Amino acid sequence: MGSEENGERVFQQRGGGSILNCPSSGMGTNSTSDKVSGMAMCSQSMFRSTNGLDPYGSNWDPIVSLSQSGSFGNSTMVTQNHEFANSHCSVVLENQTMGSSSHLVHFPSDSGLVDMMPKIPSFGSGSLSEMVSSFGQIAESGSLSNFVLKNGVGLQRASTNIADSQDKFQNSEDGILGPSPYGKRKRKEPIGASPQNAEEEQEKDPSEDTSEFPKEDDEKKQKSEQNIALNSRSRQAVKQAKDNSIGAEPSKENYIHVRAKRGQATNSHSLAERVRRERISERMRLLQELVPGCNKITGKAMMLDEIINYVQSLQQQVEFLSMKLATVNPELNVDIDRILSKDILQLRGSNASGLGIAPGLSLSHPLPAYPQGTFNGAPGAAPPFHPLPQHLWNNELQGILQMGFDPDPSISSLGPNGLSKMEL
Amino acid sequence: MKNPTTNPSSSMIRTRFAVRFLHAMKKLNKKTPAPSPYRRRFHTIRAAACASMACAVGPRKAWSRAILKKIRARTLHHYLINKSRNQQMMMIKRGNPRDEELAVGFGYGEEDDLRGLVPGGEGMGFCRLLSETAHYIKCLRAQVQVMTNVLDHYSST
Repeated sequence: MGSEENGERVFQQRGGGSILNCPSSGMGTNSTSDKVSGMAMCSQSMFRSTNGLDPYGSNWDPIVSLSQSGSFGNSTMVTQNHEFANSHCSVVLENQTMGSSSHLVHFPSDSGLVDMMPKIPSFGSGSLSEMVSSFGQIAESGSLSNFVLKNGVGLQRASTNIADSQDKFQNSEDGILGPSPYGKRKRKEPIGASPQNAEEEQEKDPSEDTSEFPKEDDEKKQKSEQNIALNSRSRQAVKQAKDNSIGAEPSKENYIHVRAKRGQATNSHSLAERVRRERISERMRLLQELVPGCNKITGKAMMLDEIINYVQSLQQQVEFLSMKLATVNPELNVDIDRILSKDILQLRGSNASGLGIAPGLSLSHPLPAYPQGTFNGAPGAAPPFHPLPQHLWNNELQGILQMGFDPDPSISSLGPNGLSKMEL
Repeated sequence: MKNPTTNPSSSMIRTRFAVRFLHAMKKLNKKTPAPSPYRRRFHTIRAAACASMACAVGPRKAWSRAILKKIRARTLHHYLINKSRNQQMMMIKRGNPRDEELAVGFGYGEEDDLRGLVPGGEGMGFCRLLSETAHYIKCLRAQVQVMTNVLDHYSST
């Protein structure tokens, strides 16, 4: 029960988010079977909710809107969503009191919905009642995240109860995407209303789900892979409801909980594979940006070739430079310190703020006497950089650098001379 | 010369690397001035470049850890073996910070080639290899820039 309640909560949350906009339309008959079927599809329909539906009341505007869109299945789901939304909306959204159980199944007096009703009986009513009760509980939980978290779980658990009726439901609700959470259907919702709330809620999903999902998933693992599929389905259904074109990555870094996308297999292996592939493609994209001239290349093999060539060329460059450096005879040790400053100047030419030396040193060129004001400004930015290299640089180097910070007349004579080399 | 990347992280790496590398160069030039055998200097400089880059990056990345490990092993090896007799051999061993390139000959496919190129790339998954490669490329680029600057400065003065 608790699980179902959680699942209910989840549904509500999602439904609430999606159905927030749903205007509440008066629903006609409530039947447990409807509720059940609605539950099954609620995850999908929840997000299907549309703009303009009031979440409150026993009005099933979502269903109306759905039916308006012409999707029978949507309406069914919307009903469920509405159920959820009702309780959820009241609690979370706008503190409106919603008839919880009583309004669980409100079907708009829409012909489309009415047509759906006969099909619903395939679901066991028992599970629906459980779901219904959970709705009341959903009102109590005011945490969106929990809802989101439990969404898949709730669906999963509910599914176990309704497992038998799933097939029936599927058969009966052929045109409806309904039992997708429970079954293997990935029919795309014709009504692609993607409520922003649902979107946001869903976005919260990955971050919060990771912690809870695995636990709950493990509980159900014993059932069968179907549970996993259900999870993915439910999440997918929720996701799909928003926008089928959004094949957003599940962004589950640590867990294998991935939303199975439309038309893709959902067993655990392929899900894991998909995660892996997505990660790899993401890294490949990063590499593509790093390696110059790889924008047009598509394909893993060619990209890898390019990357390998680039790394090899960089390494060869380093070798070549070191060979050259070996032949060069440095004049004085002081030069190295100057090189360091020069390097820093050159490398950080545009990042003078990060290195207070740059403005100070560059300004020192034209002025034989360090302008006090100039350097006073520089040290402000320098301190963060200054402590770091102090222990790295020798005193000589520090002396040179400090010239930028503390214009010392005694050193200044050396400064401009030495710094004049910077202009080279 | 302008650096194309100005994000703070790469600047930090560049600075750290520059500092270490210049220190190493200073030390090297004190010990073995330029007219000495170029080959030896070359190898030392190359090793110094890789070592300073690895130190600048720190042990956060697998490839830098691999380089540091290799360097330390080499240093130990260097102490353990007679210098005069095996100097040449040490030079060859030490001067090749890219043992991993040898592995390329044994690997098959591009993935193994990449593993051979990136230090420490043998023992990690492909996904991790890719991210290590990205970071390695960034650091290599910074290394090249710094060394070019140093060289320019040397040749200009």
